[in-house]
Amino acid sequence: MNSILILLIGIVAIIVGYFVYAKSINVNVLQPDDKKATPAKMYMDGVDFTPANRNVLFGYQFKSIAALGPILGPIVAVQWGWLPALLWIVLGTFFIGWVQDYSSIMLGVREEGQSFGALSYRLISPRSRSILITFIYFYLLLIMGAFGVQVGFSLLTNPAVPLGVIVVILVGILAGQMTYKWKVDIILTSVITVVLAFVAIWLGTQPFAKTFFSNLFAYTKDADGKLVSPTLFLAVTQAKFIGSLLVVIICYFGAVLPIWRWAQPINYVAFWIVSLGILGGVVGLLIARPGMGDFPAYTKFTIGIGPLWPMLFVTIACGAISGWHSLVSSSGTARQIEKESDALFVGGGAMFFEMIFAIVAFLTATAAFGSFQGYQDAGGGAAAAAVFSKGLSAFMNQWGLDRMLGEGFGTAYGSVFLTLMALTIMYLVVRFMRVASAEALGDSIPLFRNVHVGSVVALLLTLVLIWLVPFLQIWAVFGAANQLMASLALLLVTVWLKSKGKKYQWTFWPFVFMFVTTIGALLYKAYEAFFINLPKTADPVANKIASVGQFTLAQVIIGGVSLVLVVAALLLAWDALKVLQGSKAPAKAEA
Amino acid sequence: MINHVDKLRRYLRRLVKAALEMLYGATVYEMVRDLHKERAQLEHMFILVVFGDILGIPVLPPYYTLRLLPYVAPCIGGWKRTLLRERDITDLCDQEIT
Repeated sequence: MNSILILLIGIVAIIVGYFVYAKSINVNVLQPDDKKATPAKMYMDGVDFTPANRNVLFGYQFKSIAALGPILGPIVAVQWGWLPALLWIVLGTFFIGWVQDYSSIMLGVREEGQSFGALSYRLISPRSRSILITFIYFYLLLIMGAFGVQVGFSLLTNPAVPLGVIVVILVGILAGQMTYKWKVDIILTSVITVVLAFVAIWLGTQPFAKTFFSNLFAYTKDADGKLVSPTLFLAVTQAKFIGSLLVVIICYFGAVLPIWRWAQPINYVAFWIVSLGILGGVVGLLIARPGMGDFPAYTKFTIGIGPLWPMLFVTIACGAISGWHSLVSSSGTARQIEKESDALFVGGGAMFFEMIFAIVAFLTATAAFGSFQGYQDAGGGAAAAAVFSKGLSAFMNQWGLDRMLGEGFGTAYGSVFLTLMALTIMYLVVRFMRVASAEALGDSIPLFRNVHVGSVVALLLTLVLIWLVPFLQIWAVFGAANQLMASLALLLVTVWLKSKGKKYQWTFWPFVFMFVTTIGALLYKAYEAFFINLPKTADPVANKIASVGQFTLAQVIIGGVSLVLVVAALLLAWDALKVLQGSKAPAKAEA
Repeated sequence: MINHVDKLRRYLRRLVKAALEMLYGATVYEMVRDLHKERAQLEHMFILVVFGDILGIPVLPPYYTLRLLPYVAPCIGGWKRTLLRERDITDLCDQEIT
């Protein structure tokens, strides 16, 4: 199938989904009323509650929800063939994705800007808040592990990438200094820092930088001409050890330094690098209009990750539906909505736009190489980040990027782009994790109130995941946790809609689908870890297990985390269903 | 004909304005918001030190309290709401931390 046709399918889904289905729900069910004062106006304090223009909020919401998820998920999922992946991206967004984002905003707007912790306490049960926090902590840890593996093990081990990433971070710090301390004009700051960042990425591809990092990683060439680094411990090579440590150090500074000094300006510079990369890729895609060649529409029902149902639906998370969106929508966006009628444009619109983003990522895996073999040669699902950077590079080379800046620039640029996308999320996730651990354990273990202790603990747990658990396993459980969060958000909205006497089937059935699917996925991963993979350690040679100790620990971690998430979700759902059936009154539900 | 051209021009102008606002939302808006927050937090801290007794915090009203009152009065409503609002950890899923 031609890539332009696939983009057109996405555009048709937006037209029908947004302008017909979403608008009809908006008008007939939630009935926004612009005469009602939103929390942003009612509680305007210049701190958390501030009304903002709908277009500005759209940009804010999109930036908050679009990270590595919509890129890596589709690239991993095309192993089932391109058709199931495409269908889930489009139909998932159409029936569930926008529903969750939009309804989470409206829930926040109508309930005085309360966030999910407070709402679950009030609408479901007091213990549901604690369960939610436990759930979120594990979920964030899985984000760290999944992104960390891709960055530390896949991207930063390419000798052409580390220099670019390190210099972009330094340039980001410079941007913060220029903006906040030297009061330099933001446009001048942007131009200087973005140009410096591109020069650094280009320098990273030059022989001196590649030689330096090749020596640092102790790379040698094997019989097939592939770069090989010596193994230090378990299955961690010197290159991967240095790559993962670099990730952790960057995240540590991001977690403990003031937001203006590190996280925010680096995110700002990274935004331009990422946006220009996407723009360059899309332009190349439109010029080349590639087809998928022999890329199969469907391969088989069960692949390495597991069976198509339920695993496909958790493998592609953010591109179709993501629980993280509901947290951002209810706590951040809902408090800035100026008029109720803006909620659909901001929440629903940003989600449909993200679907297009996911489709572009999907095309980097399917159309950029023109064959299934090409996709597998680029690394396949296990090296999704590398596939994306090569695919994006192939698109950008259509308008001559390689002729202008050299053969390897496109791939290095794509890798720096993805590394930054992951890192900008990761160090902020560590910030959240340290606050969560201080909140949960600070009273019993006062040491956790210390920012450094909370951050170091979160980062050590991250390193354990990065070093021990293979990417595809961690990605599947991360996706399941993410989708489970989404289903819990839909459940909360359903309870709220019912308590207000409004139609709730449009959120209830998506909840049922997502809940059953994700519980199924987590149970499958636990079963696979304990009953399929662990017995393989009896014969490590036949099963090609390099390190029995690492393999065993990985299975125990994945199986254990999956079971913890299942128990937490079942407890929360049990409490919520009791409220939904009317057998138990919510804690302090308003009339 | 001219009418249509004018309409198109106005439409395009609106489109460009919307695109620029979206770009602002995805880039500088967060910085501006954080600066507003920082300013508001400093202001709230100052009001707490000088007018804490309004909330029942036993601050000995200094001489300057009355002299500052006319300047601080417009902020007192927002300050009380911010200070007394119940907070939850999931509030932090906002952009500032994510």
